[in-house]
Amino acid sequence: MGHLSFETRFRFPTGHFLRLLLIALLTHLLIGVHLSPCLAQTTAKIDFAKQIQPIFEKHCIECHGDSEPEGGLRLTQRDGAFVDGDSGSAVIVARHPDRSGLFVRISSKDKAERMPPDGGLTDKEIKLIQRWISEGADWPKENSTRQHWAYKPVRDVVPPKNVNLSKSANHIDAFVIARLKERGLAPSHRATPAKLIRRVYLALTGIPPTPAEVAKFVADPSPKAYEKMVDQLLASPRFGEHWARPWLDLARYADSNGFQADQLRESWAYRDWVIRAMNRDLPFDQFAIEQLAGDLIPNATVDQKIATGFHRAAACNVEAGVHPEQNRINQIFDRVNTTGTAFLGMTIECAQCHNHKYDPITQDEYYQMFSFFNNTPLEVKLVSGVRYDFYGPSMELPLSAEKVAARNKLNSEIEAVKNRMKVIQVRDAALQADWEKKLRQQLKIEPNWKPLEITSIETSGGEQNKKLDDGSVLISGSLPGTSVYTVTGKSSVKKLTGIKIETLTDESLPGTGPGRGDVKRPNFILSEFSLETRSKNRWLKQSFEAAFADFSQNRWPVNAAIDGKRNTGWAIAPQFFKPHWAVFELKKPIDPNATLRFKLDQNYGRGRTIGRFRILVSSDDLAVYRVPADIRRIVNLKKRNKKQSKRLSDYYNATNVEFVKLNRQLKKLQRSLNAIKPESTLVMVEMNKPRETRKLIRGEYLNPGKKVEPGVPAVLNSFAKDLPRNRLGFAKWLAAAENPLFARVAVNRWWAQLFGNGLVESLEDFGVQSQTPSHPELLDWLARQLVENKFSRKKIIRTVVLSKMFQQSAVFRPSSRTNDPKNRWLSRGPRMRMSAEMIRDNALVVSGLLENKIGGKPVMPYQPNRIWRAVGRNAPQWVETTGRDRFRRGIYVVWRRAAPYPSFVNFDAPDRAACVVSRSRTNTPLQALTLLNDQAFFEMALGLASRTITENKSSTLREKIKSMMARSVSRTPEADEVEILVRLFEKQKSHFGANPKLATQLIDAIRHVDAPAKISKPELAAWVMVANAILNLDETINY
Amino acid sequence: MPISQSDLRKLTRRHLFRQLGSGIGAIALGNMLLEDGWGASPLTLNSSTASGALAAPHFPATAKNVIYIHLVGAPSQIDLFDEKPELQKRNGQLCPDEFFKGKQLAFIRKQPSLLGTPKKKAFEFRSCGESGIRISNLLPHLQQIADELTLIRSMHTEQFNHAPAQLLMLSGFERFGRPSVGSWISYGLGSENRNLPAFVVLITGQVLGAGNSAWGSGFLPTVHQGIEFRSKGDPVLFLSNPAGVQPSSRRDVIDAVNQLNRRQLQREQDPEIETRIQQYELAYRMQTSVPELMDIRSEPQHVHQLYGTKPGESSFANNCLLARRLVERGVRFVQLFDQGWDMHGSIATRLPQKCKQVDRPIAALIADLKQRGMLDDTLVVWSSEFGRTPMGQGNDGAGNQTKIGRDHHKESFATWMAGGGVKRGFCYGKTDELGYNIVADPMHIHDFNATLLHLLGIDHKKLTFKYQGRNFRLTDVKGIVAKKILA
Repeated sequence: MGHLSFETRFRFPTGHFLRLLLIALLTHLLIGVHLSPCLAQTTAKIDFAKQIQPIFEKHCIECHGDSEPEGGLRLTQRDGAFVDGDSGSAVIVARHPDRSGLFVRISSKDKAERMPPDGGLTDKEIKLIQRWISEGADWPKENSTRQHWAYKPVRDVVPPKNVNLSKSANHIDAFVIARLKERGLAPSHRATPAKLIRRVYLALTGIPPTPAEVAKFVADPSPKAYEKMVDQLLASPRFGEHWARPWLDLARYADSNGFQADQLRESWAYRDWVIRAMNRDLPFDQFAIEQLAGDLIPNATVDQKIATGFHRAAACNVEAGVHPEQNRINQIFDRVNTTGTAFLGMTIECAQCHNHKYDPITQDEYYQMFSFFNNTPLEVKLVSGVRYDFYGPSMELPLSAEKVAARNKLNSEIEAVKNRMKVIQVRDAALQADWEKKLRQQLKIEPNWKPLEITSIETSGGEQNKKLDDGSVLISGSLPGTSVYTVTGKSSVKKLTGIKIETLTDESLPGTGPGRGDVKRPNFILSEFSLETRSKNRWLKQSFEAAFADFSQNRWPVNAAIDGKRNTGWAIAPQFFKPHWAVFELKKPIDPNATLRFKLDQNYGRGRTIGRFRILVSSDDLAVYRVPADIRRIVNLKKRNKKQSKRLSDYYNATNVEFVKLNRQLKKLQRSLNAIKPESTLVMVEMNKPRETRKLIRGEYLNPGKKVEPGVPAVLNSFAKDLPRNRLGFAKWLAAAENPLFARVAVNRWWAQLFGNGLVESLEDFGVQSQTPSHPELLDWLARQLVENKFSRKKIIRTVVLSKMFQQSAVFRPSSRTNDPKNRWLSRGPRMRMSAEMIRDNALVVSGLLENKIGGKPVMPYQPNRIWRAVGRNAPQWVETTGRDRFRRGIYVVWRRAAPYPSFVNFDAPDRAACVVSRSRTNTPLQALTLLNDQAFFEMALGLASRTITENKSSTLREKIKSMMARSVSRTPEADEVEILVRLFEKQKSHFGANPKLATQLIDAIRHVDAPAKISKPELAAWVMVANAILNLDETINY
Repeated sequence: MPISQSDLRKLTRRHLFRQLGSGIGAIALGNMLLEDGWGASPLTLNSSTASGALAAPHFPATAKNVIYIHLVGAPSQIDLFDEKPELQKRNGQLCPDEFFKGKQLAFIRKQPSLLGTPKKKAFEFRSCGESGIRISNLLPHLQQIADELTLIRSMHTEQFNHAPAQLLMLSGFERFGRPSVGSWISYGLGSENRNLPAFVVLITGQVLGAGNSAWGSGFLPTVHQGIEFRSKGDPVLFLSNPAGVQPSSRRDVIDAVNQLNRRQLQREQDPEIETRIQQYELAYRMQTSVPELMDIRSEPQHVHQLYGTKPGESSFANNCLLARRLVERGVRFVQLFDQGWDMHGSIATRLPQKCKQVDRPIAALIADLKQRGMLDDTLVVWSSEFGRTPMGQGNDGAGNQTKIGRDHHKESFATWMAGGGVKRGFCYGKTDELGYNIVADPMHIHDFNATLLHLLGIDHKKLTFKYQGRNFRLTDVKGIVAKKILA
């Protein structure tokens, strides 16, 4: 049975035996019958490490541990338990529970006497301990964990010979059949050709066979034809796309940082590297070395550097206020732990804070490994204040051919435009002299300004004012924070074109002004300047065309005084102590004799108001003010330096329409050119000087202990003398043929990928607490094969799928179901629900929509709204792809850790924030809802309906339905199955026929998929519902 | 013909015998008590619908359900629950060296000044109810139900950045990969309603920094992850039929699918197919039961008045009412997240605004539960990822000076629990006169979680899941049940 759901969910810590016991007990309770003895037979000797030690760990060592043990009793070490405790009685006396103080205390009825004090032991646990002592209290010596099978070298195993095998069987079959025989089981017959081709296609490429491929194999299902097919599939580029997925789960590869905001990062080149590496069968040892230390390989290729994206995939927190060093340490923890899990099947993270409780890894050894990874730079950068960004080393990828071509094209266009501009410049050089002359003349005519005839002045802040002889106004008296001066007067010119405000100095002002607020900084801020005219008893606001000034403070330009905003304005710092002026040009000239009302709104506060000012009016053309002050100066210079000449000719060119147009074009082209950047990817880079590594007490980064040197756990193969003591040396040590775990862990996972369960069920753990292998010899034989075949992944996979065992029928025969319920002994073939990505890919193939492109940037297909919600600064947006990328394989869908693709989540995809070895395989109503209602699957339903209709134009209804279902389940459906779908079709057709509006709604809502012509919407809608049903079949999502 | 679970329940002894004889074996037995829905377990000695990994509670449970409110960003305990007159007195003074030097602070970089609660009527504390618990006037409705609360003023944590602190608070581990508290409870106790998940999440405002991992199942089977019920769009993702598809069509499709699946079951004999058939039926039922649940229009007017709810709106108040409706239907663990409490600046204006949004609905929820007799076995929790400093911070992170607020504080913060077997009108733990350090009864997050599980009848040391060779638990290797707060 391939489905893990109930098994993983309810795994009891004490293992299989107890589970069976419980089932027996339960049955007894419920139906009052005793089960056949086969369910209660297990009476194997108690295993200390598995059954007893966990009880001690759970209940006892909190008090009876290594530090200051209560009563002097340590239950962490063998020696501690067999000596007498402080009380003087023997703690454990082998074979005599009632003389063992330990048992006496745990089983005591006296509450004061009983251990543990909270009475935490269950009867079952007490009985286990009793039995263990009765059996001799076998507590293996201290270093017995080193004798654990997984730490011993891989054995050279010879396949069993006393097994009757058919001609085409291989060694795997010999191992498995021998084991089946031992257990009185028989293998199943070969699966039907249709089932077999579907299984092997999906297992190797994640893509189902086409009906034609099925027909061909059904016609010739010979072992030879099968073998040929296997070789073709292994050579298919689809292989890597399918097999990369579990590795990317392990590598916790995602397209975002994780944590707050969870911004996107560019690292997809690493994903593509994994796909390529699998496709070209990069030897598995090299596969490991390049990912861990590709950057350190002498003369590393671009590809080898991309491979190091493996450990850059660690999540990274860049929320405001993070401490970069803490982040860095967390990332290294993640790298060390992921390395342990991914390559060694070891939970070394337990040794982060203390010596490992089960496995022979000390805390010192943990930090020795840590030190190999401790030499890469920080990956968060302070941007401002306490704001951080994710950075860390990234590498530019070579430009794609398309991009190179686009770049060349733009470069030549830019060249052409530049040449054209040069030509114009030369041609018009002579004209510039004329233009300068004209400009000089124009500048000579200063507009004529006349002081305003003031009739009244009001100040909102209670200041006093005084008109001076020159027509200016001097402000004195109180100094309010803000003030509005309202000045009323008469225009004495013919046609009023503009207003000039002079802000003047005066001895009476602080520091002589022109502002009033400060002796040292007599600035003013004219927040808003306005002019109203009196007409028909109403004040009419006048608009200004532009504003000019002799000088404006940085970020306080004069036109801010007419922008309608009271928090901006015109100011003059640092040019205090001298007069300034501003000119406001009117949009429309104002008739003579109009009554004018000016408002000088000075809203800044702190008395930044004008001390003395004069208002002047003019009826002249004010165009002269449009010429910038520096140009006015430069054009009148006799001698100009280079910079000045350039400024002048640039200004002149700006008046040349043709030149301006070309310039605009040039800028646009340059922008396009700049937009073509090489893609980049995250890589590992070693710092020149390695960091010192200290053991972190209790794993706390602020609590460093003694210094440690790079090293590896003593229990594993030794670190070869000729290897460098750096990440590369570590990687080579890890991937060495002598490493007892490296090959075993890998082949076991590939086996699980193909059979649904590993030979060691705990894929993530080969330690002392792991499950005993079902076929230890086979595991070692496979591991050996891997090493001997130069670590070829494809060769191992090929051997496994060519075995008779893989080709068995998956039907639960009664004997297989009873005696091998979980298919641990392989009495039948594998049957599994597809992974989330496979379900998508399969439906895309069946519907004919799949876009076959390999690699590249992640894609965003349909997903419901509001899945990617903002989680802080710079949160990324989901921009749904409407092009062909919408129908790419699941492996290319963008992976955002805070919110992974929702239909994948419903089918057990992890968030990839941490290393995941195997996904659950659950069976939930949310999965049903996803397949029934997700718009993405509805698009595929229309795709399937459309292709069925167009590809089978002249077929009957039944033939169409047959073809539709055959595509989805890779076999010809039975007549009664076809009838079920015919009935569904007929009913839906009449339903939509009676409700054509619904049909239109249904079809119109599915965009981006073409509907066939010449078919009514009600009929098409009925077909979509049939396709929807077919895509929901259990058989469609299983293989 | 294989047997379905529903068939199994109807079987007579003779039938079962015969089936066993012909090899139905352990699988069917394993599935025998399997509810065809959420949080199902084959192994339970308890014949009620509640079914999880635990055969039976370790102790008698005082709480059956939990409504867990997490105020994302962390509200100021000093201004709401932990009155500090001395701090008010010393407002503006430079803080003692030991508050700053060698401390991990997220934003403050210069030795800051002490910041007392504003001396305004709106911010004053008042002795409430018979218990006399002192609560800020910012929470006037909560003041009225103060006698229901166990207020914990001595929470502490190790993380001072939001996302890691949220992960620590909500999964007992500051990095990714561990199951959330709701997932542990779903795993341990299962669901009481086969039509609804055991663990439901309701969100107002932005999603918290820890993302979906805050309600993720980690290494537990994914059936235990929190399912978000959304206030906009489909309440549960993919719940509604696509445009143009009516329930009758949906029914027809499911009928056809299940007829074909039954034929497949006959051929393959794989019990998973039977489960899938049941899941399609359940999916169909959810299409009516979930919208009915989410539609609060059916609630009487006085209930809307009590909570301040408006049907069709997406608000914290609506989520409180939904929480009650979910618990009523047997959802084990309902988690409410409300964003917007991270007040580094302008705390004097922003805190009253946020309090206004949550005060009345939360008090209404507790009063409503009580009035329905549900508070006895429903635990309501107020939590956050950490607290806020007694020192002021005038910096918003971009370097702009803004009106003053408070930084993240891990040394002490406040939570409360109500109902479900905790003491009524009780205060636990104490901080120093300036509200910086804890001086009595410290409660680490692991202690908090241990206590929470205890109330549900679970020994936190015994709710374990073996992964990577280790028996993991919510409280890691720590956690002490705060027995003093148990009623």
